[in-house]
Amino acid sequence: MNPFEPFPSLKTADKCGCGHQHSARVNETTKAIPVVEVVQGQIAFDGTPVLRGVNLRIPAGEIVALIGPNGSGKTTLLRSILGLQRLDEGEIRLFGTQDLPSVMSRVGYVPQRLSLDRSFPLSVREFLALRLKRTRFWFWQTHRKIEEEIRPTLIEMGVEALLDKPIGRLSGGQLQRVLIAFSLLEKPDLLLLDEPTAGVDTPGEQSFYEMIGRVQQQHKLTVVLVSHDLSMVYRHASWVYALNGVICCEGTPEQVMNADSLKQAYGIHVAPYQHHHHVH
Amino acid sequence: MFTEAYMQRAIAAAIILGPVCALLGVFVTARRLSFFSDTIAHGALAGVAIGIWMGLTDLTLPMILFSLSVAVAMIWLKENTDLLTDSIMALLLSGSVALGILILSLVRGNRGELHSYLFGDLLAIEWKDVAIAAVLLLVVLFGLWRWLTPITLMTVNEDLAKVSSVNVRALNYAFVLLLTITVALSIRLLGIVLVTSLLVIPPAIARPLSLNLRHQIIISIIAGFLSCFGGTVLSWQLNVPCGATIVLTCVGLFVVALITSKFRQRSSQPYS
Repeated sequence: MNPFEPFPSLKTADKCGCGHQHSARVNETTKAIPVVEVVQGQIAFDGTPVLRGVNLRIPAGEIVALIGPNGSGKTTLLRSILGLQRLDEGEIRLFGTQDLPSVMSRVGYVPQRLSLDRSFPLSVREFLALRLKRTRFWFWQTHRKIEEEIRPTLIEMGVEALLDKPIGRLSGGQLQRVLIAFSLLEKPDLLLLDEPTAGVDTPGEQSFYEMIGRVQQQHKLTVVLVSHDLSMVYRHASWVYALNGVICCEGTPEQVMNADSLKQAYGIHVAPYQHHHHVH
Repeated sequence: MFTEAYMQRAIAAAIILGPVCALLGVFVTARRLSFFSDTIAHGALAGVAIGIWMGLTDLTLPMILFSLSVAVAMIWLKENTDLLTDSIMALLLSGSVALGILILSLVRGNRGELHSYLFGDLLAIEWKDVAIAAVLLLVVLFGLWRWLTPITLMTVNEDLAKVSSVNVRALNYAFVLLLTITVALSIRLLGIVLVTSLLVIPPAIARPLSLNLRHQIIISIIAGFLSCFGGTVLSWQLNVPCGATIVLTCVGLFVVALITSKFRQRSSQPYS
């Protein structure tokens, strides 16, 4: 059974026009409630359409990548799923409900960056304490009490050594780990990441995606990430949506990331870069 | 000094408003709202002028009401126009000051009263102002206890706060309301021209000495208390304007904090 059962309208239509009918490969219908479902999502900013009837359906336990050129609506779609951006038309359901605030406790979000003054002295320990109900009175609690509550996640994400560091002083890779630890503290079922490796070097990117895979397996999470790095998506995602106002193509990385599909989404010829490992 | 009734009122107001301003100032500076506070303070001048023009004896209420109108106008313009935040604030600041000057020019006399609002005056503080400040202190302390976590999260990232079920809009309005009342009340002590310094300098004193946010909040409150108490006492002893003395005490503490932090950094560096 294909968990990414497409919408009826997509079963026979080749939306991307790339010659592949990716969505039509399995005809079975699934009864499982998708974790994320967007139906005919439309958004325009100042009369300029950004999303023009987006349909997607993400089942549980997958790593799904949203790819597309700048301005294709990836971040807008992610923000809509989080309830931060209202759709002009269409519907969004998380865990089967349109009442998004009621299920936000099951959602973790990793923003691309923090709008924080670098000299704001909030430590990693204090930042992580903001997430839990048990540590919401962190100002009045001892360091030991806070650490007891967050220790397993700290160890899992390898950020124990950063506890006393101000979050404004973390490197890009360290900040992403801390933000994921922040999300995992509430034991979410769905993790959404917006360009998580922007500002991270290539070796850092590789280990970051490996870590996402490990976390997804351990916590049985559904992961949706917006990414611009096609080679990393190719290696680590289990399903890919290529977006450019509409979903141009969807499928496994091997299906979507071919020259025709990517040209359709990006408008120019692009291909995932294969990193070659040299043996010295 | 402490037997004089006006000094008792001034010191009571100073030791309440100093820590309140310092505490709010931690988030005002982190959220880059210093210019916002300055606009609210200058908005109060029009409130004072309207109060004088209407012949009111108590100018606290028109001052708070006009400052609140300026704050609401700022938020409305930010949400409903494409104007840059800086442009909105400059527009409202200069507009309020111009309105105040125009109204005052039509009213004869009261030059001394205007001077006290611009630069602060110990004699202007009444027990009623102290009572309002005490209520404000209780509200701010309750707010710190109850909403410190969502306000901190909102300061880090508003989207992250919204996804964590924080009502960012309501909290923003509550913060601006508290800030406006605090600024309007502190004008009696420091004056319109200098009031923002009490929001900005204590957190700046605390930053180089703080390892985390808890440290910054505590040190900032202590710095606010010391500079307001010390400045008020010095101003009485030296017979100089109160607002200026408080601000200069603040600046003195900042210099001490900066030198201390530099020495500490140097001594903690390993020898090469």
